[in-house]
Amino acid sequence: MAQRGTINLVSVTKRFGETVAVDNINLTLPGGAYCCLLGPSGCGKTTILRMIAGHETPTEGQVFIDNENVTGLPPVRRGTAMMFQNYALFPHLTCLDNVAFNLKMTGVPKPQRRTRARDMLARVQMEAFSERMPAQLSGGQQQRIALARSLITNPRVLLLDEPLSALDEFLRLQMRGELRRMQRELGITFVHVTHTQPEAIALADMVVVMDQGHIEQAASARTVYAEPHTAYVARFMGGQNVLFGRVGHVAAGTVALDLEGGGRAEFQIDKAPAVGSLIYISIRRDRIHLAKPSHNEEKNSANTVAGKVRAIEYQGSWVKLTLEGVSPDDFVLNLPDSEFFAHPVKTGDVVNARWAPESVHILTGGAGQGDRPYAKGQN
Amino acid sequence: MQSRFSRLAPYLQVAPLALVLLVFFGIPLLVVGAVSFFEYDEFDIYPAFTFANYLDLWSQTTLNLYWQTITYAVIVWAITLVIGFTVAYFLVFHVRNILWQMALFLLCTVPFWTSNIIRMISWIPVLGRNGIINQSLVGLGIIDQPLEFLLFSDVAVVIAYVHLFTLFMIVPIFNSMARIDRSLIEAAVDGGASSWRVIWEVVVPLSKTGIALGSIFVLTLVMGDFFVVKIMSGGQSGSVVSALYNEIAVLQYPPAAASAVVLLIIVTMMVAGILRIVDVRKELAG
Amino acid sequence: MQQQQFGKRPWSFYFLATFFTLFVLFLYGPMFAIYVLSFQGPSGGLTFPMNGFSFDWFVALFGQQRTGDIRGSFGRSISLALMVLALTVIISVMAGVAFRRRFVGSTFVFYMAIASLIMPGLLISLGAPIMFQKLLGMNTNWYTTALGAQLTWTLPFGLLIMFAVFNRFNRAYEEAAYDLSATTRQTYQYVVLPILLPGIIGVALFGFTLSYDEFPRTLYTVGPRNTLPLEIWNMTTNVTSPALYALGTVTTAVSFVVITLALGSIALIQRRRLKHNLDGESAGASQIALAEADR
Repeated sequence: MAQRGTINLVSVTKRFGETVAVDNINLTLPGGAYCCLLGPSGCGKTTILRMIAGHETPTEGQVFIDNENVTGLPPVRRGTAMMFQNYALFPHLTCLDNVAFNLKMTGVPKPQRRTRARDMLARVQMEAFSERMPAQLSGGQQQRIALARSLITNPRVLLLDEPLSALDEFLRLQMRGELRRMQRELGITFVHVTHTQPEAIALADMVVVMDQGHIEQAASARTVYAEPHTAYVARFMGGQNVLFGRVGHVAAGTVALDLEGGGRAEFQIDKAPAVGSLIYISIRRDRIHLAKPSHNEEKNSANTVAGKVRAIEYQGSWVKLTLEGVSPDDFVLNLPDSEFFAHPVKTGDVVNARWAPESVHILTGGAGQGDRPYAKGQN
Repeated sequence: MQSRFSRLAPYLQVAPLALVLLVFFGIPLLVVGAVSFFEYDEFDIYPAFTFANYLDLWSQTTLNLYWQTITYAVIVWAITLVIGFTVAYFLVFHVRNILWQMALFLLCTVPFWTSNIIRMISWIPVLGRNGIINQSLVGLGIIDQPLEFLLFSDVAVVIAYVHLFTLFMIVPIFNSMARIDRSLIEAAVDGGASSWRVIWEVVVPLSKTGIALGSIFVLTLVMGDFFVVKIMSGGQSGSVVSALYNEIAVLQYPPAAASAVVLLIIVTMMVAGILRIVDVRKELAG
Repeated sequence: MQQQQFGKRPWSFYFLATFFTLFVLFLYGPMFAIYVLSFQGPSGGLTFPMNGFSFDWFVALFGQQRTGDIRGSFGRSISLALMVLALTVIISVMAGVAFRRRFVGSTFVFYMAIASLIMPGLLISLGAPIMFQKLLGMNTNWYTTALGAQLTWTLPFGLLIMFAVFNRFNRAYEEAAYDLSATTRQTYQYVVLPILLPGIIGVALFGFTLSYDEFPRTLYTVGPRNTLPLEIWNMTTNVTSPALYALGTVTTAVSFVVITLALGSIALIQRRRLKHNLDGESAGASQIALAEADR
């Protein structure tokens, strides 16, 4: 049986005038899961959140929560609660009155609603601040109040719009942990919109990567990171090098790919593609090594590319090496520091980088639905 | 000597303003206060210190006049508040295109920069005995005889006041409302508030500085008016300042000054009362 | 309206839109009535219907003296309004600059300005002639005492606008100018004032129109020769012909020309600034639109 708080978007499109913010999306967010909608600003993730909340109506398509069609229903009748980006705490009400707002609207008598609001404040460790005004609180405290205010409706889905973006780095990490703990305790669905990839990976059971109104991939954090579906996801999640090329020849389950920018990749593939077809692959940065410069013959062997060292960044336990001239994207290696310092190179050197055939991940979704073949990923 | 100049700079920069306000506002006001204790006859005024002018104010006629003025003020305040709030609410929350919003807002404010007297006079061909309204009503067969109470009556006075002063309510309320974060409205809707309760629980409390400022403007404008009540009532009604106008016409400065001082005290108390409820200083000073 | 296509509007929109339309009709309807009536034929009266169409009442206004000294008062009103405009801009900008820093007495000056704003105009008008004529033995004149009395009305508006303008002004522009070795005067001349120009035009608009139409404060301070609003005031009590409306049409037309000039130049400046921005990043425009949509 599907858990309470399952959200289904069926063929949902949202247009603002000429602009298509969300383009024919089908998506299921499992009940009781922590889901992150991830993408750059303008990708449509907030619009999806607001359509689930009932603050926008889809131009086309339907929204279901627990198999009930909620399209067009007002926010209160959806069993959802929203936490706004800037928290939207009522500046003229005390924290307690903010939290008790819903109870007041639904006609709960004053003593009862004060008790319940106090309990909720205690739950977010803010009972000491109940008579303060929101402007007297720090960002983190305001967020707790906002959380308490959302949760007082006993929602089956909590919608969070960039909840951590207004906090400084330290608080962000702390509140991140607290949100995750809260979600586990409550067991309700959290839908969290963010544009920062580490936040999504750290929090989410399910990550939905979006671009230009499309869903690029919806899967577990580990799948999205380690097995990206498209070049876009690989670049956006980071930690990957994206290469592409035409299929040269196919033999016994092995494909040879003539890479754009030079070099050849050879790897196993289940279903043999047609010769000449375009294939995108990704290789994790930490799975690439420098070939020993003396082994010149390797230059022409498979799964080896040549490039000029453009930047060397020491990162502590590893060294980040950026090569240019390998592909239209930058080509980045994360070398263990011991490996690097055993055979150091310097900026301007031409080096060979190689990887094992089994490190090649095939991006079955190609470039991605968005139209940005050469967009740089986030580093 | 740069530093000495820069320390003096604000004083030099504000001096012209302070000087104008002092010479043409502050001191004349003190003069009015002083003259209210003077003695007078048909020809001139004489420096003295008498409370006679104030005691003369304590008559049934004058009390009626004050009562009439305050009644006008309260009625006009209530009407302009309802209209001003509704118009501002429409502009801020229902016209989401910013260019349209600015255009419609300007439409409401442009009359401010035109002549008040002309705008008042423009009601004569509308409300008059043979005016547009009477002609239409008779033409439609709704009434047989033209309505006499439309022009030169209390109704005409109130209509003219509302016409002239509503924009003083719209502008400050619009400014406060425009500053309300939209997500607060959505949060209230999320919290189960109906449209009416959103207005009552969120929009009204957050527009209260604008409402207070608008109220101060409208109340002081009505209480300080003399020409609308003079023309539009056809001389049948009066106000404190229109009586004062008549006294000045016959050069009776001291009683006029005493009446002005009393009016100022009432107005000041009203404004102070509003300021006690709502702190508008932040709004005014930015 | 643009967002019509975004989805169905609630019934409350139509109710409020109707209310708004009625209010605008209420605001402008009567004014249009007198503009139309000012073109009455020679035998027409103060109300509808129109008895023909003519410019007779405009001719009567400026041609003969029977309606009073319209031509002279018109000239005085325009000159006075220009003087008030200039002084209001200069004094308000200076005061606005002064109020950017704390100084002793700033609260007092501020409250005096606010008091002057809400003070019934006739009361100000009452004190001045007693003080100048009776006590100081000076003459009142439209270009001296009336000018001063009008400034007590326009300056508070100018000051409040300057407050609003300086509040939105980003100090970084100023600091950048100082960093690039501009003097204080150069910084104001080349950076601060040009950026604030739209607000300053707004102050000028208030200065001109408030003075041009000012009546209660001018009433007892004007001296022997009237300004236009005072002529109109006299006419309301003794002229019962459409000439009164013709005068209304003329003076409103002047106001509208001034308003259009002011708002038009503000719009022009804003548009030019916006255009410069967009030229640089027209490619980014669609991105901005999308980001807005995702907001």
